[in-house]
Amino acid sequence: MKKIPDKEILLFKSCLVNLEYPGVESSTRYLFDKLDIEYIVSNRQSCCTGLGHYTDLFDQFSTTAIAARNFAVAREEGHKNIATLCSTCYAILKKSCNILNKNEEVRNKINNIFETSGLGNMEYIEDEMKSKDNIFHVAEILYSKSTEIENIFKIDLSHFKVASHHACHYCKAHHKDTIGNARDPMILETLANACGLDTVDWYDRKTNTCGNGFRQRYLNKDLSLSVTNEKLLSLKENDVDILLHMCPNCQMQFDRNQKYIGRSQATEFNIMHLNISQLVALALGADPYRVVGVQTHTVSLDPILKELKKKSID
Amino acid sequence: MKTLKLGENTFKLAWSIIKDLKASEYIGVLKCIQCGMCTSVCPAARHTDLDPRVISKRVLDNDENLISDDLIWNCFYCYSCHSVCPVNNSVCEINQILRQKAIKKGNGIPEIAPFSNYAENFLEFGLGSIPINFFDELVQDIGEDWLQLKVDLEDIRAELGLAPLTLPEEDVQDINKILEKTGFKNRLGKIKRVKG
Ligand code: SF4
Ligand code: SF4
Repeated sequence: MKKIPDKEILLFKSCLVNLEYPGVESSTRYLFDKLDIEYIVSNRQSCCTGLGHYTDLFDQFSTTAIAARNFAVAREEGHKNIATLCSTCYAILKKSCNILNKNEEVRNKINNIFETSGLGNMEYIEDEMKSKDNIFHVAEILYSKSTEIENIFKIDLSHFKVASHHACHYCKAHHKDTIGNARDPMILETLANACGLDTVDWYDRKTNTCGNGFRQRYLNKDLSLSVTNEKLLSLKENDVDILLHMCPNCQMQFDRNQKYIGRSQATEFNIMHLNISQLVALALGADPYRVVGVQTHTVSLDPILKELKKKSID
Repeated sequence: MKTLKLGENTFKLAWSIIKDLKASEYIGVLKCIQCGMCTSVCPAARHTDLDPRVISKRVLDNDENLISDDLIWNCFYCYSCHSVCPVNNSVCEINQILRQKAIKKGNGIPEIAPFSNYAENFLEFGLGSIPINFFDELVQDIGEDWLQLKVDLEDIRAELGLAPLTLPEEDVQDINKILEKTGFKNRLGKIKRVKG
């Protein structure tokens, strides 16, 4: 397995975490603090271009130049191990890093842009970042601390049945670097098990994409939501209470659209959606409103909140 | 013995894809054995006429009409095909490259123009966001609470101990200089002219 760092980490901010589920970032910070992971967040870091890139608006060269700038920020801040909150940031940064290392022409062109913009200090040197050694998803960092989590989790949420949605841009886009098997990834289950929860390890549509498809949710809504619906039906068949996420775009696709899909199918889905950092933070005793950010969710998390209340009275 | 002569243009489209910056280093475009593994896992194939195996075949047949075929716009970029292909082909990457060719040709621009507000915000703040033109429909589908979340966001972030969302002005200017010189601003100009 790849070597996962626990220091000199730049926690890489994500646009949809910023705007939709900020509790994913605060939960991650809470966990990193508890688990003695040394990290920073930098306000100089820009977004990765992801939503623009995968709606075909950004070209690969511009996306790579933006990544090279963010790599320079990480280096200048002395934290060159990047941990992303979003699977698309992860895929974009790994791709850009590979291009910068392997394509001399592109590297020189981007360095020339830096030089002529008065940003010579940002020059990217071949192999100064390695896609496999320096770019991670937050879930991988947490996964490497599963044993510690198992030792310190406080709140028993085993009442709930949990399944995973390992985001495509984490497990499929760079599948050779995915922990475990890209066809049946288990890192989210392992983390949930560490917190004492039972997991539905396999269900029919486990490896299905969320259906967002970038442009598809906005321009081909019916197509997009039919794919989301397939997964929801499979989860319902398995009586899943909580779907675990590792990507804010997938989380949004399910959490924001679930009621709408239910209405149009004349059925009801009662599946709650949590990012893995949010679930582990709750199990470690984090405040649902001041750390986990449950107030920004669309599907009600009341069953979990009630269970937490019961547990604090017991 | 008869020798089959392949003209230099036989695999022109395939080679232009292999050499594209978006293509993975070891992309197996020319190795496709038409096994259909890609199609078996493709969400677009289940719900539309897009068939990744056929896309791959048409690339090998040098079918340039693909660039103006609406089918390529049904892809989800989910990389499911990419992750199962036994010869490291990636119809996911092929579709991304074909769409860029369509944009270059012009016929693809109306497909991306609705997202141009993403780029405007990126240039203004260095941050990504959902294009504002989709908000009305999203509020209708999701509910008024979602709009209220936008209004309350800064307060909620403060409650969670998170800083306001701003990059230092100097860094935003640097990003603008970079995107000017990569040609992105010029590209955005063209896209917006089509929209208007
Ligand atoms: S999985 Fe790969 S080899 Fe098989 S048809 Fe698809 S592209 Fe060709
Ligand atoms: S990336 Fe596109 S072609 Fe490949 S499986 Fe997903 S939707 Fe199908």
